[in-house]
Amino acid sequence: MTQDALAAACSGQILVPALADAEIAAGYASDMLSDVMANAPDAAALITIQNHVNTIAVCTLANIRVVVVCHGRPIPEDMRKAAAAEGVGIISTDLSQFEASCAIGKALEGGACA
Amino acid sequence: MSDPAPNTEPDKAASSGIPVGGETSPLVIMELIQRLKIRDVMTRNLVTLTREDTMRRAQELMRIGHFNGVPIAENGRLYGIVSIDDIIRALIGGYIDDTCAKHMSTHLIVLEDDMPISFALRYFENYKYGRFPVLSRDRALVGIVSQRDINRVLLYELTAEINRLERQITRPPEDGIGDDLYMLREYPVVRHDFENAGKAANEIKRLLRERNVDTRVTRRIAVAAYELEINICIHSHGGTLAMIVSKGVAEIVAKDTGPGIEDVEWACQDGTSTANDWIRSLGFGAGMGLANSKRVSDHFEIKSALDKGTTIRCKFDLRGPAPQQEPSP
Amino acid sequence: MTINDVAKVLNGKVLFKEEGRDRHVGAVVASDLMSDVLLVDADDMLLLTSLASDQALRTAQIVGAMGVVVHNDKPLPATMQDVARRLGISLVTAPYAKYESCVRIHAAIERDKRGETL
Repeated sequence: MTQDALAAACSGQILVPALADAEIAAGYASDMLSDVMANAPDAAALITIQNHVNTIAVCTLANIRVVVVCHGRPIPEDMRKAAAAEGVGIISTDLSQFEASCAIGKALEGGACA
Repeated sequence: MSDPAPNTEPDKAASSGIPVGGETSPLVIMELIQRLKIRDVMTRNLVTLTREDTMRRAQELMRIGHFNGVPIAENGRLYGIVSIDDIIRALIGGYIDDTCAKHMSTHLIVLEDDMPISFALRYFENYKYGRFPVLSRDRALVGIVSQRDINRVLLYELTAEINRLERQITRPPEDGIGDDLYMLREYPVVRHDFENAGKAANEIKRLLRERNVDTRVTRRIAVAAYELEINICIHSHGGTLAMIVSKGVAEIVAKDTGPGIEDVEWACQDGTSTANDWIRSLGFGAGMGLANSKRVSDHFEIKSALDKGTTIRCKFDLRGPAPQQEPSP
Repeated sequence: MTINDVAKVLNGKVLFKEEGRDRHVGAVVASDLMSDVLLVDADDMLLLTSLASDQALRTAQIVGAMGVVVHNDKPLPATMQDVARRLGISLVTAPYAKYESCVRIHAAIERDKRGETL
C-alpha cells in the first residue's frame, strides 16, 4: 500500500513524507531497535513509540520506508530532519501499537487473520 | 615470566553449590556481597619472599606461619606464588635450595581490591584454591584473601543486619486491617543491578494485596514504588526503597546516595531522561519515572542535593478517593 | 479469552499459568518499553512484548496483567520461568513477531465477539 493508504488505515497524519514511490508490504511492531535491525521484514512500516532520532538510523539500516509513531507521541525536530534527509516517512497516530498493528494488518489483508 | 593479570569473571554456569547470589538469595545478602569489596575483607599484612630467596626459606615460613602458599613479590609487584605442592616437589627432586624464581607458579589467578566479594565467592567455587592474591588498580600486590577472611566479615555484617531487622520486628506488630494496619519494610537497591530491579516493588505490591488494601490504591502505590526503584537502580549510586503504612496512610520513601539531581523541576516532567542508549535498550529510561510517581501519588515530595543524594516521598491515602489530577495525554 | 486461548491462537507455548480461576483478556498492550506499560490504566492486561527479560514479568505484576507473551521464539533467560512462578504471572512464548500476534489476537477477539470458536 502507499503511505497515504497507510496513514488512512491507522487514522494517522503524515508528518514527514516518505519517498514518493514508497510501497509498504508489511508491518513490524517493536520498540527495541536491535530487534528491528535483526527481524524487520523488507519494505515494512515500523510501528513504535520510540520517538527519537536513532529510530531513523535504524530504519535506513533495515530498509524501513515509514515509521508509524503511536500514542500521539511528539516528534522531536532532529528526528524530523533526519527522516526528511533519509527519505523515511513519519506518520503520527493516536492509536496504540496494538490498535495500529491490527488496523494496518487488516488494510494490508496479507496479515494472517484466520 | 609474565606479569599475572586479573581474570574476567568466571562463567556463571560453572559455579555450583554455594546458595548465595542467585534468584533465591535475600536482597540483604545480595546487597552485602556487592557492597563489600575485597579490600574490606582481605589480609593486608603479607608475608612475602623475593625471587632470590630459596624454596627452603619458603618452606620454613609456611611451617612457622601455618599457611599453604607464599607470594613472591618485590617492591609491591607480584611475580609468582610458591605453594606447598611446589615445596613437596622440591624436596623430592632435591632442589629445595634453589631460588623461588626457578620454581614458583607464574600463571596466577588474582583478584582486584575493588571487586565486590561476590566475585571472590565465585572464584573460590570455580578454582578450588584456598586463597588469592589481591592486586590494586595499578597492579601492586596489596593483600591476600582467603575463604576464612570472607566468612569472618560476612558473619559480622550479617549479625549487624539481623539485629537491625529484629529491631524492625519488635516495633508494633504488622497487624490489623484497614486503619489499624501497620507495616514497615526497607529494601536495598543496588546500582545497575537490572536482574533484581523491581523486586522490592513486587514485594510491596504482594504485601498490600495480602492485607486486602484497595486494588486501585495498591496499583498506584506499586507503580510509584517500581518507578522509584528503577530510578535508583539506573540513575543513582544505589540506595533504599521503603514502605511505611500507618494510620491509613502508606508512604513510599526512595533514598539514594548520589549523584543528586541538578534540576528537580526538569526531571519531574514527562519524557525527560538522563538515561543512555544502553539503559534504554533494556526497556527503561523513557523518562517517565518521576512524573509518573508524582501523578499516581496523593502527595509527592522530592529533595535533592548534588553529590549528596535524593530523597523522594510519596504518600497515599488508603481510605480516600483517587487523586484529583488527571493523567496527562 | 483465557491465556490458554491466547497460546492456541498464537501457536505458542504456555510456560507458566497463573493459579486459580482463569482470567480473561481485558486490554491488549503491545510494548517493549516497560515505563510505558506502567502508564496504561487497564485491568487484566495481556502484555505482548519482545523484551525477553524478568523486567517484563515484574512490570506485569505491578499492573496486575493477566499474562505476558514473549515473541520471535526468543530464548528466555534461565531465571524467567522461575520469576513467573514466584510472581504468579502467566508466561507464553510465541513464534511470531509482535505485529503478527496483534493481528491474530485481534482476529480472535472479533471471532469471540461474534460467538464463533477461537
